[in-house]
Parts: sequence; C-alpha cells; structure tokens
Amino acid sequence: MQKERICSATDIPDNGMKTYEIKGVKVLVANAGECFYAYQGLCPHQDVCLDEGYFDGSVLTCHQHLWQWDIRTGEAMGLAEAPLEKYEVEVSDGELFVVQSSALKAVEMLKDVSAATLSRLEQLAKREEYDEGAVVYEVNDPTDDLYVLESGRVEFTIGREDRTRLAGFMLRKGEVFGWAALLEQSPRRIAKAICHEKSVLLRIDGGAMLEVLEADPASGLVVMRRLSELIARHMSGPQNG
Amino acid sequence: MKIQVNARNRTHLFETEAGAGEKILHAGLMRGIALPYECASGTCGTCKARLVSGDISDAWPDAPGRKYLKAAGEFLMCQCSATTDVVAEVPAFVQLMETGSCVPLASKGCIVATQMLTHDVMTLDIESAEAIDFDAGQFMLVGVSEVEGMRGWSMVNFDRHARLLRFLVRRKPGGVLSDWLFADGSRTGAGVDLYGPLGHATFYPSLGKDLLCIAGGSGIAGMMSILARAEQDNYFERHDGNVFFGVRSMKDVYFLDEFTRLRAQCGNRLAVTVALSDEDPPDGLDDEYPLIRFERGFVHEVAARQMQQKLANVMAYLAGPPPAVDASIRMLLLSRVTADNIRYDKFS
Ligand SMILES: Cc1cc2nc3c(=O)[nH]c(=O)nc-3n(C[C@H](O)[C@H](O)[C@H](O)COP(=O)(O)OP(=O)(O)OC[C@H]3O[C@@H](n4cnc5c(N)ncnc54)[C@H](O)[C@@H]3O)c2cc1C
Ligand code: FES
Ligand code: FES
Repeated sequence: MQKERICSATDIPDNGMKTYEIKGVKVLVANAGECFYAYQGLCPHQDVCLDEGYFDGSVLTCHQHLWQWDIRTGEAMGLAEAPLEKYEVEVSDGELFVVQSSALKAVEMLKDVSAATLSRLEQLAKREEYDEGAVVYEVNDPTDDLYVLESGRVEFTIGREDRTRLAGFMLRKGEVFGWAALLEQSPRRIAKAICHEKSVLLRIDGGAMLEVLEADPASGLVVMRRLSELIARHMSGPQNG
Repeated sequence: MKIQVNARNRTHLFETEAGAGEKILHAGLMRGIALPYECASGTCGTCKARLVSGDISDAWPDAPGRKYLKAAGEFLMCQCSATTDVVAEVPAFVQLMETGSCVPLASKGCIVATQMLTHDVMTLDIESAEAIDFDAGQFMLVGVSEVEGMRGWSMVNFDRHARLLRFLVRRKPGGVLSDWLFADGSRTGAGVDLYGPLGHATFYPSLGKDLLCIAGGSGIAGMMSILARAEQDNYFERHDGNVFFGVRSMKDVYFLDEFTRLRAQCGNRLAVTVALSDEDPPDGLDDEYPLIRFERGFVHEVAARQMQQKLANVMAYLAGPPPAVDASIRMLLLSRVTADNIRYDKFS
C-alpha cells in the first residue's frame, strides 16, 4: 500500500474509531484525542470487525473474545495472542493519510527496539519472493538466517521422507520463524519450511543481526526476552525453529 | 474416524466414534485437547475450523454461528462430525489442557426432580450415570431424544465427583426444549444425554481476588456454583464478594432465602444486590430480607454505581442473555477492568 488518503480528521470523533476500505483492505482508524492511529480493520483472532469493539481512548478491545491492544503501539495486552498490524498515519491540512510500514515494524520481537537499531536491521533484511511449494529450508540445513513473513503462508513439517508431520504454520505479517539463527546451540534445522502459497519473506542473517543487537544491548535484551517467550509458546509441541 | 487438527503451533491427532455422529469438538476435548470453543452450541462461531480433506456431516446447517464463517470449507466443530477421516485446520494455538483441568465426558442421565421457582423458571435435577468432576462456573450440554441438538445449562451446585447436577432453566418463549420441559405433565424420569463439563468462566479458591458476579436472569445459575465453592473454602473471610442479580420485576425473583443464608454464613464481606429493571422495589422488602439490597435499574448500571472505587482487585464473572453480558463487559472495560479479569458466559 502506498500513501493513501483515508478521511478528514473531523470524520472521527475523540475516542472514536471507524473502518475504511482501502484497495480491498479494511483499515481501522482511531482518534485518541490528539493523535490518530491506523491498524488492520479485522481482529487477528477470528476476522471480526474491530470497530464493533470497545475503545476508551487508550485501549482497543475486540468485543468477540476480548482481545486487547495498546492503541499507541498495537501491542497485544491481556488475553490477546497477536499484535495488530500498524499503519503509519500522516495528517496534513486536516486530511488523514495512511502508509503501510515494513513487515519488520510488525514483528512483535522487535517492538521495543530503538529506531536506530531497527533501521540497521531493515538494511540487513533481504526481501525475497517465493512461489507456492517453494522450500525455504530443509531439515538439517544450517541455521544461518531468520525469516519474517510479509505475506503468504509458511508451513513446517518434521520427520523424514514419508514419515513427515505438519508442525504448525504461520500466516500473519510480522511472524518470525527460523529463529534458531539466533541460538548458538542450534546449528541445524529440525523442521522443513515450505511456502504453502506465494509468499514474501524478509531474510536476515542471524550472525549479522546478533552483531547489530550487541552494539545496542538494551534493544538486544528486549529481543532475547521476547525470543524466549516465543520459544516457550511453541514448547508444548514440535517447534518451528 | 481419524481426525487430524493442524493448529498454528502443532498437529493434534485423535479419533471419533464412527457412525455415532460424535462432534469433532467433543471428541477433541475428551482427549484433553484444548480446541477453541465458547458456547459449544452453534451460536458464537468460536469453534470454527477449515476442512482440508475428508467429509463431514453438519447436524445443524442453520446454526447462527455459521454467520462467522467466511472462507470456503469453514465449519463449526461443535456441530459437525466426521464421516471419513478428516484433516482440519484451526488457525489458533491449540495446547493440551492443563493438568488438573476437568476433561469433559459423555454420559447418560435421568431427570430426577423439577421445581418451579417462578412462573417461567425451574430447577432441574439430573442424575448422571457417571460421576462428573467440574469446576465452579461450568456448564453441561443436555439433550433429550425428542428434541434436536443439545442445550448448554450451567450447574447451580458444586460438588466433587458429582452424580447429581442441579440446573436452573428459564422458559424461552417458543424455545423447543423449553416447550418440551415446561409442558403439562412432569418430565421426571425422562432420560437425557449429557456432555461436559465445559466453559472457561471458572472459579478456584486460589484466585486471590475479590469476586464480582453480575447475572442477568438465569445467568445466576453458574454464580450459585461459584458461591457454593467459595463458601466451602471460607473465601469471603479473605476477599470481598459482590453479587448482582438482575431481573425485570419481583415476580421474576428467586433464591432470596438462599442469598440470605449465604450472607449470614459468609459475613459482611459478601454483598448481594437484586436489581429490578421494570419496577421500584416494593415497600417492606428490606424488612423481610434485611441482608439483601434491592435497587431499581439495569443490573450493569446498578453494579457500576455500587462498585465505584471497588474494582481494583476484582475478577468479574458475567452470565446471562448476550445483551446483558455485553453491557456489563462494556461497563467494566470503561472502568478500566482488564479483559483478563473478566470471565463470561453468553446464554446465546
Ligand atoms: C454457555 C451457556 C450456558 C447456558 N446456561 C443456561 C442456564 O444455566 N439456564 C438457562 O435457562 N439457559 C442457559 N443457556 C441457554 C440455553 O442453552 C438455551 O438456549 C435455552 O435453554 C433455550 O433453549 P430452547 O430449546 O428453549 O430454545 P431454542 O431457541 O429452541 O434453542 C436454543 C439453543 O438450542 C440450540 N439448538 C436449537 N436447535 C438446534 C439444533 N437443531 N441443533 C443443535 N442445536 C440446536 C442452540 O444452541 C440454540 O441457541 C446457556 C447457554 C450457553 C451458551
Ligand atoms: S475475534 Fe476478536 S477476540 Fe476473538
Ligand atoms: S463453540 Fe461452536 S459455535 Fe460456539
């Protein structure tokens, strides 16, 4: 999505929100007093319209199962299991415009990373397109790179030859996989990653990413903390590492 | 039939009984797989999944919950059974149930007693062939052979290894099972199918928070189970409890003697308020029931007034008709109670 006009600032009252459709994509715009925010219009849980939920000026709640987000960042709060995809909002002459941001900004693991470090990571990221059925990596491949999903869908299988089993899938912009690239003790892939449909991935060299994080230990600590949470979430089943 | 559920974090494998019409949701939950659901009765859409391969049979193609289905191949796991081996995708993280959770089971039962409490509410005692362990605040699905589909009813009592389950049922005008149950002539002795326990709006004494219960009408059923459990544990020696029971008018009120007993037993930290939406509390009621408060208003409004400054450490339990629950949710969220401190059952 390029920069798109969405509405006039006066169209949305204080502490109010509205959904607009831009090129077939639903975008929620919320007015938090002095500041406007724009997010994906459908709940990441079960695609319910977020404008039917509750907004008190700081917290957005989906009415269906009460997932909640911080309106300033889109970060998940309380019961929510996923953040909201954020769009940058620009206001000029009383008109609101939204701009789609890079998938890296949607990465939960990188949410509190400093702007300078994030832009260095952006420089490391290579944007790659994969066709349906393309293999991102095989079992036992070296774990050099980490991947961020920008669009499409990636599935993981474990096991060899005809004894394989699906071990999960990813379909949200900003989801990270192949995180073993950040772990020293995991030199080999334990799962195979296949694009189930045409997909766009950001590929980041794990070693280079660690160097960037070492240069900014405060950000690095946040990333490592988030990484351990992520791994814990997948622990109960075969991992997607 | 072999069922494979591809969840976002892993794959789950289990079997359903061939030919028995066992619902995919039921079979998975019985194996301790925490598949997503809320109403378990076809209305909320929470249990939606996408068929990847195989054939299913939909027991209720008109289920209102189907309005939440969007993509082709999506179905409600609570209404569909497998007619061949099935692979289905659930776009959620699906874990195994935590150890100590009450895993549901299917059982037969028998109606052993009914009692009319008001013109349109009865208690219904069902004896189960198998002992059932449930958490306070949970519900069962109950079905009878004359009526299609099962209905969710919350347990009123709380006992371990319970054989006797007490329910509170409000007659829904035009409701199919309501018409069967409230028809002339007693249903005592009738056989029923049971499946459960179900529901996430549960209470454990280890919660360590003040209790806030807001019930619209028969939503009070699960609250009674929660209060019974809290009483057994002397919970109100350590924590406050506030119960709000909303009905239209005095002819719809019940359980006043039970509330009086609970108040006397549990002491001053437990407060019970009956909110009447359609009439002022009649004179003399305060003298008759000195331990219960009566107020005029919608139950969420009455609760909002009384709970000002008292919401900091609450766990809120909400149940009843969906509009009443939604109004209470809105009230609590706008009072800055966070969603993880709100547990609810919508009697949709
Ligand atoms: C979690 C939960 C807890 C509940 N607890 C209580 C309670 O404690 N007390 C109480 O009175 N009510 C409770 N209800 C409501 C209750 O389940 C029934 O909706 C109510 O008793 C009216 O049933 P009915 O048959 O009279 O009405 P109907 O309108 O005939 O049916 C109501 C419900 O039955 C199910 N149903 C109807 N037809 C079919 C079909 N063909 N196939 C499959 N399912 C069908 C659907 O879920 C429908 O919403 C609860 C509901 C839920 C979801
Ligand atoms: S659909 Fe939004 S929280 Fe479930
Ligand atoms: S759980 Fe199946 S529709 Fe509610």
